[in-house]
Amino acid sequence: MTGRHDPTVVTAVLVAAEAAINRGLELDPTSARDLADMAGTVLAIDCLSPEIEVFAIVEETGRLHLTPYWEAPADVRVRGELTDFLALATAEDPAATLINSDLEILGNTSPLLALQALVSRMQPDWEAPLVDALGDVAGHQLANLLRGIFRWGQASSKSLRRQLSEFILEEGQLSPPAAELEHFFEQVTALGLRVDRLESRLQRLARRLAAQR
Amino acid sequence: MKNNDAADDPGTTHFGFQTVDRDQKESLVRGVFDSVASRYDLMNDLMSAGIHRLWKRFTIELSSVRPGQTVLDIAGGTGDLAAKFSKLVGPDGRVILADINDSMLRVGRDRLIDLGAVGNLQTVQCDAQELPFPDDSVDCITIAFGLRNVTDKDRALQSMERILKPGGRLLVLEFSKPVSPLLEKVYDAYSFRVLPLMGQLVANDPDSYRYLAESIRKHPDQETLQEMMEDAGFVSCEYHNMTGGIVAVHKGIKA
Ligand SMILES: C[S@@+](CC[C@H](N)C(=O)[O-])C[C@H]1O[C@@H](n2cnc3c(N)ncnc32)[C@H](O)[C@@H]1O
Repeated sequence: MTGRHDPTVVTAVLVAAEAAINRGLELDPTSARDLADMAGTVLAIDCLSPEIEVFAIVEETGRLHLTPYWEAPADVRVRGELTDFLALATAEDPAATLINSDLEILGNTSPLLALQALVSRMQPDWEAPLVDALGDVAGHQLANLLRGIFRWGQASSKSLRRQLSEFILEEGQLSPPAAELEHFFEQVTALGLRVDRLESRLQRLARRLAAQR
Repeated sequence: MKNNDAADDPGTTHFGFQTVDRDQKESLVRGVFDSVASRYDLMNDLMSAGIHRLWKRFTIELSSVRPGQTVLDIAGGTGDLAAKFSKLVGPDGRVILADINDSMLRVGRDRLIDLGAVGNLQTVQCDAQELPFPDDSVDCITIAFGLRNVTDKDRALQSMERILKPGGRLLVLEFSKPVSPLLEKVYDAYSFRVLPLMGQLVANDPDSYRYLAESIRKHPDQETLQEMMEDAGFVSCEYHNMTGGIVAVHKGIKA
């Protein structure tokens, strides 16, 4: 379930991650084959803070589907804090990281490790898949944002973790910061006024033209 | 809670903020969609900055549609949802893209053919208030940004309930009421100022987009729509607010 997070934001993050992972799969046939062998597997990622549940489903085609909502039972369930998941995602020795971390695992770990291998090898190209998924307008913006986060994150994967947790925590609340809304509102009002002025100018012009005839 | 859509006079209803004869509304709504059909997809992307795709994707997740099922997307327009469902139900399933408006359906059909989703897909021109399908015949019905255009929403909901199989589900994706007053203020300004302007610039049709903005305000809020679904016989009704309640998706199950 999406709990108290806005499904729009959760979906946006998952669309981005899914697109990047599937793009990674296209460029990494070995992982793609490993994953395809597990078609139908459902992995539940049960994050305690921020509180969010995500399901990763291996499709028949070997692509990965990420969703906040899934009704059938999961084959593996991993529970923990966001920082633990991010540590696992970037770990060089995932098995050791798993043992030493506070992540709680129910079920078979092999799909989890296959996914980890894939994610840690990834050099994501965000643009193309996002534009496919979201269209030019949002896709391009989101790609820019992610490129920024990712580039910056590669420089320091610890601060990536922190930044990402903050980003998700903050966005997850999605009551847009009041100041930003006010600003946007002012801009919209100003635009409206300009349109009104333009309109009355056009009317004046039209009247003057009519009078000249 | 009946007849939420009707103005006080039972023979009239709303067309945006205007009050019009019930019969007239249908042809006015048709006019709007006739005139926006060819630019519809582009405008959707621009108006919502692409976010409508996220709303639709989440709606599809909530549908839990499986291979082999029958799905009806009513007021389906240019077929965004139908295209996704066509993949989900696979070759053994069936997807019906239905809309009252032939221009929208035609754009939808062409687009779906381009996407290669035709084998399990059919298009039907029909009215959501009188769905021409047998009782208990459909596993899932979706109506995305369509219910607010329907004159008698209660009748439409009853018609959907009738054709769903017991245990089948209805998903209504529609504009709703922003949860924060500030967001509501911004959103009002956006839809009454910016939308008609965009409609003017891109589609050269500010009136249709003004109608869209007005019809959004006349649509029942979250709780009201949920009650209407319960009145129509749906059980386990619930809704998810999206983007601060600008949009909500309601789910109901046929008992
Ligand atoms: C805003 S569009 C939504 C299209 C599509 N579902 C989407 O989300 O992009 C609304 C659609 O509702 C259709 N519509 C309006 N009244 C209807 C009715 N009584 N029965 C069926 N469709 C109707 C219109 O023709 C139009 O295509």
